[in-house]
Amino acid sequence: MGIVPSSVVLTSFQVISRVFMIWAVTHSVKEVQSEDSVLLFVVAWTLTEIVRYSFYTFSLLNHLPYLIKWARYTLFIVLYPMGVSGELLTMYAALPFVRQAGLYSISLPNKYNFSFDYYAFLILVMISYIPIFPQLYFHMIHQRRKILFYTEEHKKFE
Amino acid sequence: MFKRQKSLASERKRGLFSQGATRSLWKNDMRNFQYLSQFVLSAGPLKLFPGVRHSKTTHFEIEILDAQTRKQICIVDKVTQTSTIHDVKQKFHKAYPKWYPSRVGLQLECGGPFLKDYITIQSVAASSIITLYFTDLGQQVSWITVFLAEFTGPLLIYLLFYLRIPCIYDVKESSRRLRHPVVHLACFFHCMHYIRYLLETLFVHKVSAGHTSLKNLLKGCAFYWGFTSWIAYYINHPWYTPPAFGNRQVTVSAISFLICEAGNHFINVMLSHPYHTGNNACFPSPNYNPFSWMFFLVSCPNYTYEIGSWISFTVMTQTLPVGIFTLLMSIQMSLWARKKHKIYLKKFNSYMHRKSAMIPFIL
Repeated sequence: MGIVPSSVVLTSFQVISRVFMIWAVTHSVKEVQSEDSVLLFVVAWTLTEIVRYSFYTFSLLNHLPYLIKWARYTLFIVLYPMGVSGELLTMYAALPFVRQAGLYSISLPNKYNFSFDYYAFLILVMISYIPIFPQLYFHMIHQRRKILFYTEEHKKFE
Repeated sequence: MFKRQKSLASERKRGLFSQGATRSLWKNDMRNFQYLSQFVLSAGPLKLFPGVRHSKTTHFEIEILDAQTRKQICIVDKVTQTSTIHDVKQKFHKAYPKWYPSRVGLQLECGGPFLKDYITIQSVAASSIITLYFTDLGQQVSWITVFLAEFTGPLLIYLLFYLRIPCIYDVKESSRRLRHPVVHLACFFHCMHYIRYLLETLFVHKVSAGHTSLKNLLKGCAFYWGFTSWIAYYINHPWYTPPAFGNRQVTVSAISFLICEAGNHFINVMLSHPYHTGNNACFPSPNYNPFSWMFFLVSCPNYTYEIGSWISFTVMTQTLPVGIFTLLMSIQMSLWARKKHKIYLKKFNSYMHRKSAMIPFIL
């Protein structure tokens, strides 16, 4: 929509992964909802979103306090790994229940010659965190260096 | 005065250009002189060079900066008005042998589009000193290599699955010899499809000797090989379920598959010999061949026929993964067809209105 300077691809990726986490894992596997890991990622997401949306709001009003900018680009260092560990632990906890119930899985033989194993799919998703997480994390660290430090230098030279 | 010099030079050049034979020789001479002059330190003006007829010709100087660090890499000078971006890239390659021309991406501004090879320096020059930004496009491979790799893979992978290699399927199950004829037919059609692609790539398609980055090769191969393994797994599985409507479904879809394959082949042949068919220089028009009558309805019938083949294959094998593959290919091809259709509409405005891009009357 062009309101906020964020990459569409990255943001939609994040939205899809969060929706997947909530609907396809936490909501579907009721036994998992009392785990501590759910609390972990919910708290991480909540704090991140509060800071992020205040950042966007203040930016649009052209009245950004340095505290919010600092918070947005610094708190993620703790909150992001916290959220990721919460998500991974939840998925890991859900695995035995998925296997038991055969959740969202189709097996051969069937009329359309198709099979899908949700258990294997969850494991694949967990493994995919290994290449993706460092990339996103270091991208955020790079952004932090650029925004928190370089703009100060430019301000000094003005 | 500067302008007068330029017009004098261009008039003289125009006179020369009217004699076609001497033109290429003259160009070669100029190029040799330019290479020589580049190796000599570029600082000194070489106006007194004997044999240079047009010492008053305006030469361009091109400064090449790195797009990321904005640092100067080199200056290419003594570039004539008629040189193209390709010539500049060749000279750059001479100075820095590591960057061969297809790997070099030159932009007018940082973040702007990459300049194509056939663009002349004169058309982009604002003054006699031009700044271009250099980006490394990465390891390049030719399109032919890409196509050969992309199509040989599925051919071999499907055969691996068809022959029921023990590590893929359970040996006890697969030793039962009761395989429905559809499975054999599917293997035959699949192999025929990719063999036809390979032969067309080698002998029919006039692929412009362009290059693409290595990343595109890997992406294309991953897509084709991955999907072929996925669909081959299900079709050749011991627990494969034959189509619900039995032999009728198989026969009808097999015949439509063959029709679409033939159509695709004829269209590809027609597209590669555009000057033999039709009045228009670049757009083939329908002739006696009934498969080419699709040109009345769509502007990219090769994609139409290809989607038709894959839909027939899906119906014939009644396998959902093949359907998913067909859907993805259709989406990709519809994007390509739309682009081509727009180009055709711009070029040949007169009789294109009733045509659609790929699917008659719909898309």
